Amino acid sequence: MAVTTLEVPGDGTTATLRRRRPQLGVYTLLVPASLLMAVALGYPLVRQFVISFQEYGLRQQFGQPAEWVGLANYTDLLSDPYVWTVIGRSIAFCLINAAVTMVIGIAFAVLMARVGAAARMTLQVSLLLAWGTPVLASMTVWQWLFDSQYGAINWVLSNVLGFEGMAHHSWIIQPLSFYFVATVIVVWMSVPFVAFSVYAGLLQVPEETMEAAQLDGASARQRFWNITMPMVRPVLSVVLLLQVIWDLKVFTQIYVLQRAGAPTRDTNLLGTLIYSYAKEFSKAGALATIMLVITLALTGFYIRQMLKEDEL
Amino acid sequence: MKILRFAAVGVAAALALTACSSGDDTSDQPSDNGTPEAATIKLWLNGTDTPQALRDYLTTTFESENPGSKLVIEEQDWSGLVPRLQTALASEDQTPDVVEIGNTQSPTFTYAGAFADITGMYDELGGDKLLPGFVEAGKADGKLYSVPYYSGARAVFYNKDMFAAAGVEVPTTLADFTTAAQKLQTDTVSGFWFPGQDWYNGAAWIYTNGGDLATYDGGEWKGALASEKSLKGLDEVATLFKTATHAPADSDSNEPWVPFNAGQAAMFSAPTWARWSIDLPQCNKGVAKDDKSDAAKALLAEQQACNEEHTGIFPLPGLTAGEYATGFAGGSNIAVAAKSKHPELAKNLLRIIFSGDFQNQLGQNGLIPGNTEYASSMGDDVYAKAAVAAALNAKLTPAAENWATVEGDRILEDFFQKVASGADVKQAATDADKLITDALN
Repeated sequence: MAVTTLEVPGDGTTATLRRRRPQLGVYTLLVPASLLMAVALGYPLVRQFVISFQEYGLRQQFGQPAEWVGLANYTDLLSDPYVWTVIGRSIAFCLINAAVTMVIGIAFAVLMARVGAAARMTLQVSLLLAWGTPVLASMTVWQWLFDSQYGAINWVLSNVLGFEGMAHHSWIIQPLSFYFVATVIVVWMSVPFVAFSVYAGLLQVPEETMEAAQLDGASARQRFWNITMPMVRPVLSVVLLLQVIWDLKVFTQIYVLQRAGAPTRDTNLLGTLIYSYAKEFSKAGALATIMLVITLALTGFYIRQMLKEDEL
Repeated sequence: MKILRFAAVGVAAALALTACSSGDDTSDQPSDNGTPEAATIKLWLNGTDTPQALRDYLTTTFESENPGSKLVIEEQDWSGLVPRLQTALASEDQTPDVVEIGNTQSPTFTYAGAFADITGMYDELGGDKLLPGFVEAGKADGKLYSVPYYSGARAVFYNKDMFAAAGVEVPTTLADFTTAAQKLQTDTVSGFWFPGQDWYNGAAWIYTNGGDLATYDGGEWKGALASEKSLKGLDEVATLFKTATHAPADSDSNEPWVPFNAGQAAMFSAPTWARWSIDLPQCNKGVAKDDKSDAAKALLAEQQACNEEHTGIFPLPGLTAGEYATGFAGGSNIAVAAKSKHPELAKNLLRIIFSGDFQNQLGQNGLIPGNTEYASSMGDDVYAKAAVAAALNAKLTPAAENWATVEGDRILEDFFQKVASGADVKQAATDADKLITDALN
């Protein structure tokens, strides 16, 4: 959608002159999408919201009436300092991961735009493979790489590079080192998406503009920062928005790493904490709602900006 | 892409939630006169623990004793069992009629009202001959909801060659065990393979010293790791972690035979069926996994005999010589679903399972039968002896309604890992107690 803003204006005027189609047809076309959204997104969201104001656990699922408890689930959660710690961790993890992913992704995109065809193909194929590997399969590989007993990374560090203390080093037992490993994995998995999107954006930057700037004496660095970057900014902001959303609700990578032997309580993020409330649906619902609010708070600014740009 | 991801998550959530919405009324229709109406009932068994021959026995016996009715056995995977039961048991149309459930998972469902009350069948099914710890786990508010199906006890496997080389005898007390493990420990070989998160084995030291994971006191559950008796056991655990194992603090109790097979551990503790996973390099005949020829079978039998010749087994010893440790018992319970449409047929199936015939067959297949009267059917080789000795002494996790939360939050994994990493035992135990108390109440 961001790409459209880069198109040369001119189409817009003809569109308004075109005769309007009958309204009914337009709405009929919307039905399948709205239906899917209502069933797949609307219903669970409403249900989650309702449950979060009830006392709803296993007993309720087996037929006991669910009592309304007002805001009790929310006050319980928000008065627990541990929940706040997890919220803080999640936001920090999300921002750091989104930033690192963006920087590396953009670097790859620029690289792809500059190198020759053969190198570009190699880059694209490797990025696609990283993007296409199923999460659980690649998590198993990462787990083996970082395994403290038989892992390849410890082996290389101790036998090849001579850091003998690393022979049985546990990478995931300390929270900070755990998040380092998780960041490496999450960034590795998300870079291809950023790289491809930004690369597509870079291709849209008109040659003539660049040539004109070059003739005017702009250096390569100036052309990049003053022409290319502003022109692909809409792409960047959409991609960043998606990264923030995805990295906030990261679950699989953290869950798998925890099960590989990390201390669970010290490494929980919002996704895994909600999952640990599996038997208290009401509490899980309340925390999921809180997470939704945090997501909106983090991304509201971008969404508003995007809507504004669409209006222009 | 964004829409797709959202939609996928949404669909998954919608499925989960619709599956959650429960039926409103329970239809527990007791039969008024004699034979219940013929129907098909479903039995859920988990994993491959129950051999095919036993399953066939159940279906044919059930069908001949209940003319016109049929028994369908569906196999479920152990992992993810609790969420699957949460949804299936809540729906009258989906629910299996009889379910097998891990003994520590049982309280979650008994208190929620997911199982039918079978207090009246207690004597008929075996009465006080049933494994007592398991019966306790099947009770809620004084009523009986699930009964012991089978148990698998833990015992210590050891490398006979390493014992001989180090001049170590099979230990006869728990203190001896520590000394033996320390003697066996070298720079590359763990005396005792003791992974940092392995509370299943660690619990034995707590239980044997008279401690507990949590106790019920004054109408409330309390974490009991920091009690004097528990700490005595935990100090010994800390010593083992420090001086008698190279197992990483971030490893769990899965597949402890891997380092044993690689010659990196002299002892490990596991359920007795781990004997089939032992594969010492000097015994390996290099038979391909898919080779089913008679020659291959003969080689495999030879390999197994060689493995068992070099490997010994003993039940973890107790505080004084001649006693056995009180270990943690694995195993499962069996129950009738509260929402079953055919509770009478389901109860008939329970009667078949607890018949002497079937209990003996469990024993012959290496599982400790739920009714201890039939334990002798296990045979009298060293494995059976070690298993029975360990099982009769074994103890379960506390029968608290919310015990599953403690396991779900992995409080004990975290705690043992801290001990393994060298944290102050008393402080770590006090912290963990607080979390356990919060989770249980």
